[in-house]
Amino acid sequence: MRRSPVWKSNEPVREGIVSYRINDICNGCGACVRFCPVNAIQGEKQQPHHIDPGLCIECGACGRICQQMSVQDPFGISCERIKRSAWPKPVIDRGLCMSCAICLDACPVNCLTLELTGKKGDLHARPVLKDGRACIGCGFCAAECPVDAICMAVPAGEPAVSRQRQNS
Amino acid sequence: MAKGYMGRILWVDLAGGEIREECIPDDVYERCLSGTGLAVHLLYNRIPAGADPLGPDNVLAFMSGILTGTGSLFSGRWMVAGKSPLTGGWGEANCGGNFSPAIKRCGYDGIFLSGISSSPVYLHVRHDGAELCDAGDLWGRDTVETEDILVRAAGGGARVACIGPAGERLSLISGVCNDHGRIAARSGLGAVMGAKKLKAIVLSGKRRIGIHDRDEIKRLSRQCNRWVQFQPPFLPGPQAAYIGVVMRSLPFQMAMDGMIEKILLRKWGTGSLNQASVEMGDAPIRNWMGSHLDYGIKQSLPTNPDVIRKAERVKYHCYSCPLGCGGICAMRGKYGETHKPEYETTLALGGLCLNSDMDSIFHMNELLNRAGMDTISAGGTVAFAMECYEKGILTKEETGGLELTWGNAKAITALVEKIIHREGIGDLLADGSKVAASRIGGGALECAIQAGGQELPMHDGRNDPGFNVHYSVEPTPGRHTIGSQLYYEMFQLWKQVKGLPRPKPAYMKERKYVADTEKAVMAAACSKFMNVANGSALCLFGLFIGAGRIRVFDWLNAATGWRKTPEEYMKIGVRIQTLKQLFNLKHGIDPWSCKVCDRVVGRPPQMEGANRGRTVDIENMMRDYWRQFEWDPVTGRPTDAAIARLEIE
Repeated sequence: MRRSPVWKSNEPVREGIVSYRINDICNGCGACVRFCPVNAIQGEKQQPHHIDPGLCIECGACGRICQQMSVQDPFGISCERIKRSAWPKPVIDRGLCMSCAICLDACPVNCLTLELTGKKGDLHARPVLKDGRACIGCGFCAAECPVDAICMAVPAGEPAVSRQRQNS
Repeated sequence: MAKGYMGRILWVDLAGGEIREECIPDDVYERCLSGTGLAVHLLYNRIPAGADPLGPDNVLAFMSGILTGTGSLFSGRWMVAGKSPLTGGWGEANCGGNFSPAIKRCGYDGIFLSGISSSPVYLHVRHDGAELCDAGDLWGRDTVETEDILVRAAGGGARVACIGPAGERLSLISGVCNDHGRIAARSGLGAVMGAKKLKAIVLSGKRRIGIHDRDEIKRLSRQCNRWVQFQPPFLPGPQAAYIGVVMRSLPFQMAMDGMIEKILLRKWGTGSLNQASVEMGDAPIRNWMGSHLDYGIKQSLPTNPDVIRKAERVKYHCYSCPLGCGGICAMRGKYGETHKPEYETTLALGGLCLNSDMDSIFHMNELLNRAGMDTISAGGTVAFAMECYEKGILTKEETGGLELTWGNAKAITALVEKIIHREGIGDLLADGSKVAASRIGGGALECAIQAGGQELPMHDGRNDPGFNVHYSVEPTPGRHTIGSQLYYEMFQLWKQVKGLPRPKPAYMKERKYVADTEKAVMAAACSKFMNVANGSALCLFGLFIGAGRIRVFDWLNAATGWRKTPEEYMKIGVRIQTLKQLFNLKHGIDPWSCKVCDRVVGRPPQMEGANRGRTVDIENMMRDYWRQFEWDPVTGRPTDAAIARLEIE
């Protein structure tokens, strides 16, 4: 039972954060809505959709999935569609990793988890990609890792993409 | 422009259910930082004088820090602040885990809650808004169950801070828990949450945190991490105990480099020096009356860090911590696992009560974490009851048949359970030793080892008088996480801040007990620095490696884009400390009333043990400390000139 009505933050754009945008080419297929980890995209079916700039976290998933290339990044450049299986995924260097879990916190879809992956007797748990299907290839984990122990790489066997997007 | 902080806070009125945002101007951050600095800046004016800490006028603040989420290391502390029901003055507690970045991911530097809800609720702050939800089903559940239920209900990935049955029952020694047993325990703020009928705060925002210069932060973090990862082999646990024996025997002492402490923390956690502390006189024994002669190496052997390490299954790292001093341990009984008992817990429930049963300490650790109760205060209160029992102030009838003799592990465990559930004698003790002593009367107050109402931590001020100073002068009295002579040596602030004295590499032990200006300068520097650290959400253990290795001030400049000097940051520390002192004075706290009790300063001095014959000139040390802040040395009140210079309104 809810006691209070849901209070919505009314600030449209937060300082320092710029947003992705959907232009008129959008055919309202709704693919971006399914992938947006923060429910920032709204719109009627078959109608142009809209990104709430106050909620967008610039993960770029909408741009990678859009077949119409109707999503523009904060610089106004149209995002190129990338085949789902060729979205970059985090590759973690266990030697550099210091188990600080910053990457787990940075991940907007919670696709990383901590596991004991070191030598016998090493009790420091390190991140692993627990759910590759859930990963949206945003690269926030790599961008926030203080020791650059994570790099984003296209899974082996996939063709190289023309432009790999990494948000930082 | 991105500045590390979010620039806004969330206000929730629990009585009316109204939720609103408040923008905080940049100059407030420049003057008070974030964290407890921002909290005291706002609450000094917004909690009316004389407000009941458990009433609707008290405001409870959950704070992150400026450096949280910026890529700096050791910056995952979160703080809860408000008027303390335990001390009656400024209350704050500080905890690790993953809750601090979650506050900022929701878009706020802090969440402030006022009023009292008519029925149990929890606050859920989402990416796009917030709501108060019914917590009737959660009321009565322990902290681990509550967290699991709420994380599942939020669909995973949420962070939860909650109270357990102790906070619900308004125990004045209760705290706020997160991550299955990390607890912001001190100052009794769990009771404030319980009084507000707020069971939990659930955070599931995913916002990004804007930073001025991420590359510079990463460069400084990598530099710091190299020091943290330096881990040469160290003595095995049983031999580490003899470090304490050697330190006790020598007539002189050497200045400590915090890298040694870092090596110990990484290997064993805070329990690394359980035995050594007893031997060197740092750990109080038998309610501060005993010494290593009562709790020798054989008796304390079960608390040896190697024994604890055998139970450890995985190291526990708080957010952004490369050190990993925590751990998850397997244990017998229905719970199966617990957070590794910290040094404070082990000694409070161990040496302080002469308890050598480590299994019982594991069990009580989990019980108290699940109840959301402070293990330091619980241990201190149990030891208080045992001394009262020994002196005949409490009888077997009054204890409900418990034989509270020293070292009786079964009785200690049973008493802890009674305190948690407020059953029988437990109801008398659930508000800490000072409240219990005032109810019992008849000389019981002498057995209550506290400062300003708060039980003292497991660092003996007769061994390091710096602890006694901070226990007595801090606006949150009885705290071991702010300063001491040892901490000053480890912080190595003289390497960054101009004008601070460098301690001698070795000095005679008698020197520690002389009240002089240099010691006051050192104590004041610790307070100022920890105010900066608590405004930035930094962990004390990270700061131990020394200011030259963990570049706090450079991190702050890189995160915010400011160009402040270390001296300017220390001045911010003065401002925060002064605001806290003014808060206490506004609420009628006489600074002298926070002075530690006589036994702790060695009046009369101990007859045996490492601290025999030691007396601390606490009054002069307090006056010297106050002078450093331009507070009146007679009353402890900040002078008008100091207030004007700090531009406090």
